[in-house]
Amino acid sequence: MSLLLAKDVVAGYGAAEQILKGASIHVEAGEIVTVIGPNGAGKSTLLKVIAGLVPAREGSILLDDEDVTRFGAVDRTRTGISFVPQERNVFGNLTIAENLEISAYRDGGEASRRIEELYERYPMLAGKRRDLARTLSGGQRQILAMAMGLMTAPKLLLLDEPTAGLSPRAADELFDAIVALNRGGLPILMVEQHAVEALAISARGYVLVSGKESAEGPGPQLAADPEIRRLFLGG
Amino acid sequence: MSILLQALLNGVMNGALIAVPAIGFTAIFAVLRYPNFAIAAYATIGAFAAWWVNVHFGAGILPALLVAFAIAGCIGVGAEETALKQLRGAGALTVAIGSIALNTVLENVVRLFFGNDLRGYDLPLVPDWRFMGLRVGPQQLQSLAFAVVIMAAVFAFLRYTRFGKAMRAVADNSDLARLKGIEPAHVAVMTIFLGAGLAGVGGVLIGLDASIDPLLGFRVLLTVFAAAVLGGLGSIPGAVVGALAIGIAEECALLVAPASYRSAVGFAAILLVLTVRPRGFFGERAN
Ligand SMILES: Nc1ncnc2c1ncn2[C@@H]1O[C@H](COP(=O)(O)OP(=O)(O)OP(=O)(O)O)[C@@H](O)[C@H]1O
Ligand SMILES: [Mg+2]
Repeated sequence: MSLLLAKDVVAGYGAAEQILKGASIHVEAGEIVTVIGPNGAGKSTLLKVIAGLVPAREGSILLDDEDVTRFGAVDRTRTGISFVPQERNVFGNLTIAENLEISAYRDGGEASRRIEELYERYPMLAGKRRDLARTLSGGQRQILAMAMGLMTAPKLLLLDEPTAGLSPRAADELFDAIVALNRGGLPILMVEQHAVEALAISARGYVLVSGKESAEGPGPQLAADPEIRRLFLGG
Repeated sequence: MSILLQALLNGVMNGALIAVPAIGFTAIFAVLRYPNFAIAAYATIGAFAAWWVNVHFGAGILPALLVAFAIAGCIGVGAEETALKQLRGAGALTVAIGSIALNTVLENVVRLFFGNDLRGYDLPLVPDWRFMGLRVGPQQLQSLAFAVVIMAAVFAFLRYTRFGKAMRAVADNSDLARLKGIEPAHVAVMTIFLGAGLAGVGGVLIGLDASIDPLLGFRVLLTVFAAAVLGGLGSIPGAVVGALAIGIAEECALLVAPASYRSAVGFAAILLVLTVRPRGFFGERAN
């Protein structure tokens, strides 16, 4: 039994052509799984389908063997899926504290305890709790977005290009934060452009090309595959 | 000098009254992303609802304001759910035009029930106070106080309540709000209630200042819209600052131009903002 099983997913936007053409991936308990692939391959779309923002036209999404395919985004959060989008992933006009608080909208009773835990884990957020989120730097914003994703105590965290636009140092710090979270037992499914670094910390990886997975394997092994290196890793 | 001070004083008083419906208008824009011109009718409905409980049941101003808020809010939600909601898929412009049609319908329903006569609230007449060459009516001061309290209550609601924060979150980014378990459709209904209710309360305050008739809301619509645009559509502090600015500008215009030019101030403000700074004082971006 997989924690997450997305099977033969077909999806797209509006009446336009299909973006995902029968993609299948799974995530097991405790894993970090990374999806890489060329621009426009449908990586973000795949995460959006799993999060319930884009409906699957065909195929199914199972979380812990529960079929959540027909659930909308609000209901998916209740089943334990938490999605941190690539862009606009914090509420810029709300303070750091408000961003965290609002992220546990459905179980507000737990909010203050979790916020304290997150402040301990990420002291930077504690120091800026009264600042508006739009004043944060790129790296700080990603930390906040990830912390917001943790406010619901999810079973599975979805991260879309968490290091996009970050300096190499900030990206390294973020990967460290992701590993630390995973060591605590949280399974993570992420999409990344920094393929080498991401695959290095991943139990498994997928290569998504034109809406379908074209390769799958243990992270380090994928990162070492000469064909994949040539296509996606610039060498 | 005292003429100018008097104009400033009157401008602040009028501006504060306009600010209340302007907050309602801009809040609806922030969450639902369209300008709802039916707030003119909601203001009129609020004014008549308050008049009705005032004249028939002897209700004082405070209970009358609460009734106006509740009735205008409920009618706002009812009209939104039955009429405007169906248009949302067709885009903001379509909903905006629909709201103008809705406004005409609601205005005529009011006319059907109450006729075209001017009416006044049943309140004791109090002579104006004078000090240092300035003239101010106790009724105006009371309305100003109500407006300030209402604005403070709205700010507190948005800042400190769970629902107020959810409203700001949806206004900021409704997709992300959905990911956080907030249903934007629910927030939209509450926002319409609040926005239409505030318009209703604003209608009462404006009616207290003069008299009420079915065109009460329509007469201030341009000023309310100008205030919201000037402050930056969707910004609540902006609506307050915009309303004060327009209120003062209108009074100052009276010093140099005939009263019939008063409404030109609103037009001029809208034109100026759209050409010089489309996002207004506090708006995030032009769209
Ligand atoms: N909201 C949308 N409406 C219509 N088409 C969209 C939308 N979002 C994405 N697309 C299209 O779907 C295709 C796949 O987009 P997607 O964002 O899933 O790719 P991606 O693999 O994440 O690419 P990137 O590496 O650039 O992030 C693209 O051709 C894109 O133009
Ligand atoms: Mg993407």
